[in-house]
Amino acid sequence: MSCSNLTMLVSPKPSLSDASTLSFRSVLNPFQQNPATAAPAAPQRSSSPSSAPIQCGLRELRTRIDSVKNTQKITEAMKLVAAAKVRRAQEAVVNARPFSETLVEVLYNINEQLQTDDIDIPLTKVRPVKKVALVVCTGDRGLCGGFNNSILKKAEARIAELKQLGLDYTVISVGKKGNSYFIRRPYIPVDRFLEGGTLPTAKEAQAIADDVFSLFVSEEVDKVELLYTKFVSLVKSDPVIHTLLPLSPKGEICDINGVCIDAAEDEFFRLTTKEGKLTVERDVVRTKTADFEAILQFEQDPVQILDALLPLYLNSQILRALQESLASELAARMSAMSSATDNAIELKKNLSIVYNRERQAKITGEILEIVAGKEEENDHRKRQDRKEEEQYLAHRFRGSFNY
Amino acid sequence: MTLNLCVLTPNRIVWDSEVKEIILPTNSGQIGVLPNHAPIAAAVDIGILRIRLKDQWLTMALMGGFARINNNEITVLVNDAEKGSDIDPQEAQETLKIAEANLNKAEGKRQKIEANLALRRARTRVEAINVIS
Repeated sequence: MSCSNLTMLVSPKPSLSDASTLSFRSVLNPFQQNPATAAPAAPQRSSSPSSAPIQCGLRELRTRIDSVKNTQKITEAMKLVAAAKVRRAQEAVVNARPFSETLVEVLYNINEQLQTDDIDIPLTKVRPVKKVALVVCTGDRGLCGGFNNSILKKAEARIAELKQLGLDYTVISVGKKGNSYFIRRPYIPVDRFLEGGTLPTAKEAQAIADDVFSLFVSEEVDKVELLYTKFVSLVKSDPVIHTLLPLSPKGEICDINGVCIDAAEDEFFRLTTKEGKLTVERDVVRTKTADFEAILQFEQDPVQILDALLPLYLNSQILRALQESLASELAARMSAMSSATDNAIELKKNLSIVYNRERQAKITGEILEIVAGKEEENDHRKRQDRKEEEQYLAHRFRGSFNY
Repeated sequence: MTLNLCVLTPNRIVWDSEVKEIILPTNSGQIGVLPNHAPIAAAVDIGILRIRLKDQWLTMALMGGFARINNNEITVLVNDAEKGSDIDPQEAQETLKIAEANLNKAEGKRQKIEANLALRRARTRVEAINVIS
């Protein structure tokens, strides 16, 4: 059934009366009832909020329904995959804990042994800030809701702030989405583009750490800030800015507002189920800093040892940021795909209703057509018979009037 | 009496079992550690950690970090560690060549620092495969 049929249904009667042949008019006449039924149906269809304007064609509707069904399967699968990956990301964070715990312990103890005020380590040198490096962590793939957009917006905001303060800046972009964003904006100086892997490992963190380290030590930049998304919960994530370098010798991590978090306090997240739904719980764990044994000798100069410890700390901070960023990306993708699946289900339902209504209208039309055709045939035969009868009678009477 | 060696990297625990002896590459040279060593804290350089199990020596490439030896417990914290047996010889050689080329191309203090670090790491990886005694 093509679109043209339907348009004739809803067009007003005068056009129908123009039809020339008898049969055409009689075929269409029964349809005259249908514009009355189709007209209220049409506004019904277009007035329902989520359905598209009148689609025509059963075949097209059927293809649409099939494609929506496929889309729904895909989005649901993506949601489950993202959920599985969040679990893996969580495991990665848990695996990183022994390292950071031991590191914090050792850092504390060494700081107790030394008077840290008069040491001179390149990574902790606080210089007057003229140029700032921003490390921006984005994702590799799309379909994750507003995740990439929110972090890039935050980066733009920070760049505007720095410009206002009259400071120079450069960007190190991690992740394909960030890379393509900054490539399209050549007015933002980008130092290096790095790809994130599927699961951030020490190697990727090392690459970023190398870059940042050399930038800072060669005095090209005076401050390094890390922009990543903190994983708050499955539906909420927060882009944050942390000052990476210069490090404080005590191993504190400071926010740009000067809010410092003690390194011994570790926050980690756990994917669990509550009341049958996936949720995320964050726990704060404070690592025990045991008393150091006084007889521990330093093989090298304490300053050298601190010099070796701080790059480790830098590495673990960067890795932590990458892991949290990945976890928030996965959570955003999960919720985006979940709402996409729900939308697909609703769309399919609406399309099915429209499809069924049209199918029924078509069947009714065909039945009426057949019935009307049969009626017409009967009428036609009756008229034919009567004409023959009249002719015969006329012929007979004519014959008789001849006398 | 055996030593308990624990090698930790930021994303996983590389080694966590008992050994007989280790040789640690530090900034001030190589340190051999036997059971009942005096407690020390040392900075670990980019180099090869040698581990002896019974009579067999294993190598592990370490990318710089820290080591603490205390009461027969050795804790080594490094940025990255790879067992010699896990490194692909061809890939390591190629990485070394690329690192050398980068160093020759490097201009300016910053690029030179980066290229040097990369070269040292690549060299360590190649050496870790070769020295299997």
